[in-house]
Amino acid sequence: MSWRRLIITLLIIAPILALLAFGFTRDAKYITSPLLAKPATSFTVTLYDGKKIALADLRGKAVFLNFWASWCTPCRAEAHDLEAAWQKVKDKDMIFLGVALQDSDQASKEFLKEFNVTYPNGRDESGKIAVDYGTWGIPESFFIDPQGRITYKHVGAIRAALVLSKLEEAAKGIASAQEGRGDYQGVR
Amino acid sequence: MAALKLFLLYVLLVLFHAPLHAAPAPDLEDRTREIATELRCVVCQNLSVADSPSEMAQQMRAIVREQLQAGKTDEQIKEFFVSKYGEWVLLKPKTTGFSALLWILPYVVLVIGVITALWFVRRWSTNKRQSVTPRAESSDLAPAQGELLRQDFALPDIEDTSSRAQLLRERGRVKDELNELEFDFQSGKLSETDYAALKHEIESKGGTVLRQLNSLPAEPARKSQHKPAKDKSPKDPVSHNRFKRWQLISGGVFLMLFGLALGVMLTQSIRPRQGANDSMTGDFMTGTTPANGEAAAALAEGKQAFSRQEFPKAIEAFKKVLSADPNHPEAHSYMGFVLMQAGHGDGALMAFEKALTRAPNFPMALWGKGMVLYQDKKDFAGAREIFERLLNLVPPGEERNEVAKVLAEIPATGGAPKSTSTAAPAATPSGQNISGTITIDPKLKDKIDPQAALFIIARPAAATGGPPLAVKKIDKPTFPLTYSLSQENVMMQGTPFTGKINITVRLDKDGNPTTRGAGDLTGEYKKNPVEVGAKNADVIVDQLL
Repeated sequence: MSWRRLIITLLIIAPILALLAFGFTRDAKYITSPLLAKPATSFTVTLYDGKKIALADLRGKAVFLNFWASWCTPCRAEAHDLEAAWQKVKDKDMIFLGVALQDSDQASKEFLKEFNVTYPNGRDESGKIAVDYGTWGIPESFFIDPQGRITYKHVGAIRAALVLSKLEEAAKGIASAQEGRGDYQGVR
Repeated sequence: MAALKLFLLYVLLVLFHAPLHAAPAPDLEDRTREIATELRCVVCQNLSVADSPSEMAQQMRAIVREQLQAGKTDEQIKEFFVSKYGEWVLLKPKTTGFSALLWILPYVVLVIGVITALWFVRRWSTNKRQSVTPRAESSDLAPAQGELLRQDFALPDIEDTSSRAQLLRERGRVKDELNELEFDFQSGKLSETDYAALKHEIESKGGTVLRQLNSLPAEPARKSQHKPAKDKSPKDPVSHNRFKRWQLISGGVFLMLFGLALGVMLTQSIRPRQGANDSMTGDFMTGTTPANGEAAAALAEGKQAFSRQEFPKAIEAFKKVLSADPNHPEAHSYMGFVLMQAGHGDGALMAFEKALTRAPNFPMALWGKGMVLYQDKKDFAGAREIFERLLNLVPPGEERNEVAKVLAEIPATGGAPKSTSTAAPAATPSGQNISGTITIDPKLKDKIDPQAALFIIARPAAATGGPPLAVKKIDKPTFPLTYSLSQENVMMQGTPFTGKINITVRLDKDGNPTTRGAGDLTGEYKKNPVEVGAKNADVIVDQLL
């Protein structure tokens, strides 16, 4: 009889403890994106060199879309890696697109100059593109396959090796089940 | 007449239409606010988009307004944000799907709680009744059924819901009723006729129960007969009650301990937010930095003591922070700087390493580590790597310029230069060095910091900026001292130590060649520039910064 009571008590308490443990051990700030394996919203952005680029025009290419800001420390940490990765894939059917958000025109340009960024970059002036991609912590990177579907998302600084491997996967249309995480900073 | 009619028609139209036109359209701002109130701000997280002052919330409000103008319904707009951020973005979770659990579960738990409470109350009251009911005594009634009904027997366990147990309980109730009837009759509350009628009624009910009991299969009956024999506690009311009491006490103690543990856990895990990027949960469960008042106060106190150069006090304060959070990167970094000041390069390096284990890109720790490698360990390649990393992390500004300056001063090669801890006499062939004596102006003698390091700096006379050509560091110098600068002191390997050179010296309080602080003493060779090969290039330290 006492065993039965013990089991019943444990059955009541265990879920409560499990719920508490779940609540206290997760990062309350982290927002899991519902966008993985979903079509990427198209947008048009004016690049710093004055040209315009639309995501829809990039169909048929694997796209690496990176949201950044010049005031964001993890963005600075990944800048060299991104440029290095771009240098390796620029002649393939792959494209990098940087979108600066919550940043001034001048500061963004200085950032690009400082890190010798050569891939296309533009500024999301209204913040609409950032919201379309559910951005909340920067840098945030999205990998889009040639059919325009998001295959992977990485919140925080990303290394060149991961960019290249995930881009290869995107080119093949392989979507990841989970998003990646690195050092990130909240948007403002 | 027709004109009058037209006029009246016009007046009527104006009267009835005017208010329609003048009625304010549903206010766009109000509707925007209404929707924004239901959306969670992705920056503040505990505030709605309507209440948050963040830039992101402003942009989200603009999107809501724009979509309202485009004719979208409230639901469509909310759905748009849910499609981007998930249901997390709704301050009120949906009442459908998995989220419905959030709404239903509290009520389910409440109902279960009420049912459980009622069940316990009923059980306790039943037990109590059983314990106070007088036990059956032998009766003078003749019928076999009456005898059988009055026989004492063990009641089944209250949780046993089998039909046998129910019948046994019913038999117990019949027995009680018969006892009560007997008592009432004997105390004169009942007439003989009533007593006989009621007795007959109860006994016939009992007879039915006994018949039903007899009709049950034999095997379970045997089991139930064995059970009381095995478990003696129900037969012994005193020990049974004692057992119950212990159960209640242990249950109470358990609940109290559970409450205490929960209370401690909650107070340790929840803290006020320290800023937009801070989380309200943390500390011992998530291992995030302590933001509780005591540790924060100790950190502030340590920093103040450090800036006043009260190092023992600073060490105590940082130790306090580290006892609350053994991996606090800032406290470790400060400890590193204190150790650096005290000349413990290895200890300082270890402290900076500890800080970097927790936060690999912590600028302060990177700066400290770079400085130790550069100045103490003479590991120029290592120092360069650290400062280059730091340079990437620090946004443009004064701090960044400082990092760039140090980086420019670090010799390009990784090889450690020869020891400069003592004032070495001129060892290189004459004609390739500059030598002389350095003395202190008597007026500044009491201004000498015993921990200060002396830097002898050689700059090409033609250069207007940039790094020096050669530098020599002498720790804890004693004056007057003789010095010699030669090819081995040049900063960029391969640069020839030739030509006309300006010689300056600095007695640096913090031993950092890149910073000129108050209290540093300086001087220069009065006949600057000097040709390499010159002797007696004597310098008097005569200026206080």
